[in-house]
Amino acid sequence: MTEYIDVDVRPILRAGGEPFSVIMAALERLEPGQGLRLYATFKPVPLFAVMADRGFAHSAQPLDAGEWEVLFTPADTKPAAPVAGRPAFDAWPEPSVRQDNRDLDPPEPMVRILAAAEKLAPGETLSALLRREPVFLFPQLEKRGYRWLGGFSPDGTTYELTVRAPS
Amino acid sequence: MSYFAVALAWLLVALALMVAGVGFPAVHLASPDTLILVHVVCIGWLSVAMCGALFQFVPVLVAKPLFSEKWALPGLGLLTIGLAALLAGFLGLGGRLPAWHWILPAGALLLIAGFSLIVVDLGLTAWQRPTGPARFVLVGLASLCVTVAFGAIFAFAHAGRAGPVGEAMLASGVPLHAIAGLGGWLTLTAMGVSYRLLSMFMLSPDIDDRKSNVTLAVGALAIAIAAIGGVFAIWLSFGLNVVLSVVAVLSLATIILYGRDVLGIFKNRKRRQLELNTRMAVLSYISLAASALLGVMLILTGAFTAQLGAFVFLAVFGWLSGLVLAKLYKIVAFLTWLETYGPVMGRTATPRVQDLVSEARASKWFVIYHAAVWFGTLMLLAGQPSAFRAAAAIMTIGIVGIVREIIRTRSLADVESTLRLPGGACAPHLLFARN
Repeated sequence: MTEYIDVDVRPILRAGGEPFSVIMAALERLEPGQGLRLYATFKPVPLFAVMADRGFAHSAQPLDAGEWEVLFTPADTKPAAPVAGRPAFDAWPEPSVRQDNRDLDPPEPMVRILAAAEKLAPGETLSALLRREPVFLFPQLEKRGYRWLGGFSPDGTTYELTVRAPS
Repeated sequence: MSYFAVALAWLLVALALMVAGVGFPAVHLASPDTLILVHVVCIGWLSVAMCGALFQFVPVLVAKPLFSEKWALPGLGLLTIGLAALLAGFLGLGGRLPAWHWILPAGALLLIAGFSLIVVDLGLTAWQRPTGPARFVLVGLASLCVTVAFGAIFAFAHAGRAGPVGEAMLASGVPLHAIAGLGGWLTLTAMGVSYRLLSMFMLSPDIDDRKSNVTLAVGALAIAIAAIGGVFAIWLSFGLNVVLSVVAVLSLATIILYGRDVLGIFKNRKRRQLELNTRMAVLSYISLAASALLGVMLILTGAFTAQLGAFVFLAVFGWLSGLVLAKLYKIVAFLTWLETYGPVMGRTATPRVQDLVSEARASKWFVIYHAAVWFGTLMLLAGQPSAFRAAAAIMTIGIVGIVREIIRTRSLADVESTLRLPGGACAPHLLFARN
């Protein structure tokens, strides 16, 4: 049985903070064979790839109110070895553009976000508030090489999206 | 897009049949000609359009990609051939074609294969996040399986291969087939989809899951009682009447609960000015309420069996077809916009979705269509077959107008030429959409 260390980043996310360094710090404290149990206010999809690189398989399950519990289990073939260096999602700069698109008719939010994203300098980010998960926007962002992080606020009424231009 | 095109083609076939006087009310409700008409409408038009819409919509509901894009086209092919075989079988029953015994079961098997591909694909997709509207879709898909199972039993019974139980099912199980198909599959799915579309287009908060779950639970209970209770009643040779009465009460409750939810969405909307698709959806809600009212009045006056045709006509063409047409108009415009301008958005000036359509011109066709449906219902109630054919002809005019608008949208005919194809954008194909 894998032993899991709990990391709850929900308070950080609710306060508008960036939990990545906390997760990575916890990762470095793990003993060989231990896993990480992460609580987040959204499904941290971008993190899965980062953790896979470090030899962790993930299994995510939704909790109430849009929150998620994710188990990162060390894969047998690849022992968990914290890697030095800059992690993929570390240190996203403060957004240089902030948009509140909550009261716009669809698909106006998507148009505005793409227009603003095109103006970002390499590595810069923008943040946007939306009413819904912008599912049609994601493929467009990915095709253009942008990365994004997003999730609903705890009350489920606002979706916060952060988009980062390719550096 | 291929699904929508095939569905609209079948709708025009159905209207041509009605104008030509094939099927009810020219002949009896249970006659082979009526069966042809009913299946062209319910499988060819409504089911194919619904499946096409769900392939677009379920991934949006659950924010996950479709389980398999590759299954959509074979599914459509199997449905089309299966429906054609089924219709040939009905023509055989009516003596218009040689009575090949194998053709009805063959049609049923093809339809089972086609619907299975679609149900598994959509079901596995929706299952990933079964909340809110996605639950309606799952219950709708389950009802579709029940409908297809009944239909297959009937097809084999017609071929004399379903044994005595199958014969008994064919003799009295037709209402159960119709309830599962029209009520469970088409109506519950349409309701589920409409929750999200309405709140999206009116900028209204999503309806509370607890509320819509009650609506769904009552609707699902009605279908379950119809399917399970109905089969037992036939098997044990009870009359179906008790089962059908319970189902009628639960169905009415579902419609009332749904009405409450929809009114809630309208009341909480942020956007005062309504788009055409929402305004026209209101006309189909009027038809839904009117069919419920008509059903209750017919049952109370004991005329339900005699006037079943009028009741089903209003539900199928006023409510279901009306809603599907209104949403189709919007879905095609949005998908075409995304397909054409998505890749260049933000880099150059692009038209808005509204620039792809001309609502003023389109609403005229919708109004003509709905008015003709209501007129047709009255003519059925009044027992005026010729006037009903005139109504069907007017409906056809409305539909041709709507189809023309949809083709204009797809070919960007209403977009100003300066904006139509900015550098990097490429014109959409009429029938196939790039993703």
